[in-house]
Amino acid sequence: MKKILLLLLILLNGILLAQKGRIIGKVIDENNNPLIGANVVLLGTNWGAATNRRGEFEIKNIKAGVYSLKVSSIGYLDYLKRGLAVKGGATRLLIKLKEKTLEFDPVVVTASKYSQRLSDLPESVSLVDSKILSEKNFTSIDEALRYVPGVYLTEDQISIRGSSGYSRGAGSRVLTAIDGIPIYAGDTGEIIWQLIPINNVQKIEIIKGAGSSIYGSSSMGGVVNVITKKPVKRMITFVKTYVGFYGKPYYDQWDWSKQIRGFNGQAISSSNAFGNFGYSVSLTRDEDLSYRQNDWHKRLGGYLKLNYKLKNFGNLSFIGLAFRQKRGTFNFWKDSRNALVPPDKDEGQVVNSQRYLFAFKYSKQISKMFGLNVISSLLRSAWNDQSESGNNSSSNLYRTELQSVYASGKSLKIISGIELTQGQVKSNIFGNPASFGYGVYSQVEYHFNFPVILTAGARFDDERLDTLKALSAFSPKIGLVYKLKNSISFRANISRGFRAPTLAEAFTSTVTSGLVIKANPQLKPESNYSFEFGMSKRFGRLLELNLALFQNEFKDLIEPQVDVTDGKIFFNNVTRARIQGFELVSKFRYSPLHLSATLGYTYLWARDVNKQRALKYRPRHLAYFSVTFSPSYFNFGVDFRFMSRFEEIDRELIDLGLVKDGELRGKALILDLRAGASLYQFNIPANIYFNVKNALNYNYIQMVGNVAPIRNISVNLEFLF
Amino acid sequence: MKVKKIIAFALLLIVAVSCDHGIAPLPLVKVEPGFSGTIKFLGTWPAGVVQTHVVLFKNPLRDSTDFNVTNIKYISESIPFGVKEYSYSTKSSGAAISNVTPGDYGYLAVAQSKKALSLNRKDWFIVGVFVPNGDSTKAGKFTLPENTFLKNVDIICDFDHPPVQPPGGKAAK
Repeated sequence: MKKILLLLLILLNGILLAQKGRIIGKVIDENNNPLIGANVVLLGTNWGAATNRRGEFEIKNIKAGVYSLKVSSIGYLDYLKRGLAVKGGATRLLIKLKEKTLEFDPVVVTASKYSQRLSDLPESVSLVDSKILSEKNFTSIDEALRYVPGVYLTEDQISIRGSSGYSRGAGSRVLTAIDGIPIYAGDTGEIIWQLIPINNVQKIEIIKGAGSSIYGSSSMGGVVNVITKKPVKRMITFVKTYVGFYGKPYYDQWDWSKQIRGFNGQAISSSNAFGNFGYSVSLTRDEDLSYRQNDWHKRLGGYLKLNYKLKNFGNLSFIGLAFRQKRGTFNFWKDSRNALVPPDKDEGQVVNSQRYLFAFKYSKQISKMFGLNVISSLLRSAWNDQSESGNNSSSNLYRTELQSVYASGKSLKIISGIELTQGQVKSNIFGNPASFGYGVYSQVEYHFNFPVILTAGARFDDERLDTLKALSAFSPKIGLVYKLKNSISFRANISRGFRAPTLAEAFTSTVTSGLVIKANPQLKPESNYSFEFGMSKRFGRLLELNLALFQNEFKDLIEPQVDVTDGKIFFNNVTRARIQGFELVSKFRYSPLHLSATLGYTYLWARDVNKQRALKYRPRHLAYFSVTFSPSYFNFGVDFRFMSRFEEIDRELIDLGLVKDGELRGKALILDLRAGASLYQFNIPANIYFNVKNALNYNYIQMVGNVAPIRNISVNLEFLF
Repeated sequence: MKVKKIIAFALLLIVAVSCDHGIAPLPLVKVEPGFSGTIKFLGTWPAGVVQTHVVLFKNPLRDSTDFNVTNIKYISESIPFGVKEYSYSTKSSGAAISNVTPGDYGYLAVAQSKKALSLNRKDWFIVGVFVPNGDSTKAGKFTLPENTFLKNVDIICDFDHPPVQPPGGKAAK
């Protein structure tokens, strides 16, 4: 009897198994190349997979039935197959994804802290795709931003449409965030670019214009938000290694080392999602001997992202970032004949720094209409140098933000939030000040019955910086979008921005490179009104034109200046300034010839209204041109950047004799060449990229007494398993 | 084909405009060493002052004997009585003494006297001292680098808050 029962069970099991099927398939692009990491899901189920290095996938143990199968991959149009019948045995599929001709209306998340179509935004937005980060072998995000129309960097200080000059690392008028979490140091307020894990970036969103109505202080010039990749359902391991060298300086007398100056780096990362859990982890190492003496650096970075989907309880994420750097110091050149050598007293100076970010994010969709997010983070920064004062500083910056998003159909969205920040500094140059602040904001987006979208909101901030007078700021915003046709739309936006002084600007007291810097406890916040009128026009799927006219009115601009009564440098509210201009950006893609191109031009008229002269470190003309040719397994590209001569620089440093030949400056003309190949054609899961940056070896300065990188050549190899 | 031609033309244009290679080292020109700046006078001028000069001493003023003509390397023209601001330069032809060479100097200051012709330390009162880069620990010290003409070597003379007097002089009146 037992034997009969056992036989029946085996038979029953066989029947049940026979009712389960599997889907085996391959995902390819239009050139029949396999697509790695494409997500394949059966809609309405938990069954899914990601493609391997051969573009293949397999979904097992699928209950017999009829399903809808969706395949998605970054840069390609989604593929949807309805009515897919799965029976016992294998169902085989070959899926060809079409490349997005030009993503004219992508989804962005930065402008309002929730997902929106780009065409619904009343301000200008630029996007940088992760693909270009590999193709151009960028080792830090700030390098990539130099190729965004209307954006330039003075050393590592970002300026969007002329919002910033150069304040020696103290404060920034552009807020930079990773997945919406700001990454500026609690003491200096500087952006810590190297903290961002460049190999885990999905895209970068750049908002051009004051963002204080949502983000508060430090976003009066715009917002840069780096979106990281999400873990996918198949384990992906990424390994990158690169090596390069600087060419010989154009002038023999600049060739101080008579040796090849190299740079190299390695990165390894892994990502996977299974069940309700997902992770991404990466480690990076970079070393650069630099083309300048005592300008070398060594960096180590780590990144960990964990996602956990709590059943009926929302999503929980953790982001951990760590970064350690040791670098030489190069403040200014010795003189123009020794442009790649620092003054004798700076030789051998070293700065050590460690930065850490820990953040938790909790999201819960409470109802169909109402969602809740809580973000809490700690950014720890510590550094020391070997200057005559032995400067050192450590800071902790705590942030907690509570957001609620209410959506009623497609016509109304309201986001509201409250943000608390607390900072503590321990330093021999800033003292031991503390800061505390809070901000409350709300913004409404309303889509009318006619083709107009209204965005209106405001934020109130209250900040206390140690002994400084408590400051408060009200930052309203109103924007309109009018979609005349599908292919043409107009936008207008006016908003107020502000920036509270950083602890470094208010309390720095030190001697560095012969400069004596003193504190200014009377410092007030700076503010601006930002206005933009823009128009977008599409010409089929080939071409998009985007035009923006903008004006920024700054009040109480914080700038470093010399106190005539004692010769010391201090930060002060000195300037009323006006920046007017226009920007034209066009994107072109012609698939039959595998050609794509971007052209951007920005005109800036940046004036100090009080002194009736140009603002420091603002070029009048900025232009960018890029063309890419991608036949089959290859890609070739040319990038060209032009920046006109700075009309004004730090004259004080020249007059005081600190920077010899400091008046020497000119336009910048930078030509980069690149070529890449996919090695999948040889069954090797790798891509290889060659880059020649500043191919014409054009010499220009980024700031007084600082020659920008000379010609450098690199090769990077990326494996994806 | 038209697109290719446009791109080729653009690339040629880029190469053409980039031919100058940007900034170049400046030739080493022999600059006549010297310095210039502005003297700011705060408060009310003392009555009876007949001479006001910018003075530069090679060695620091340790006692009254250092206040001698061999130690003095520069004496500006006399600054008019009562001015609020005065620009001076070692290039000025009116300088009483101008023997400035590159190197370190012990004391750069603005001195006043109520006597017309005197090099007696006791007849002079220091009303302002040069403070290099705002560092008060180095007050009076001055360095003139090789091949350099320094600008903005400014001195503040606050009559209500006179600087510490070097040895050998009289107390403030």
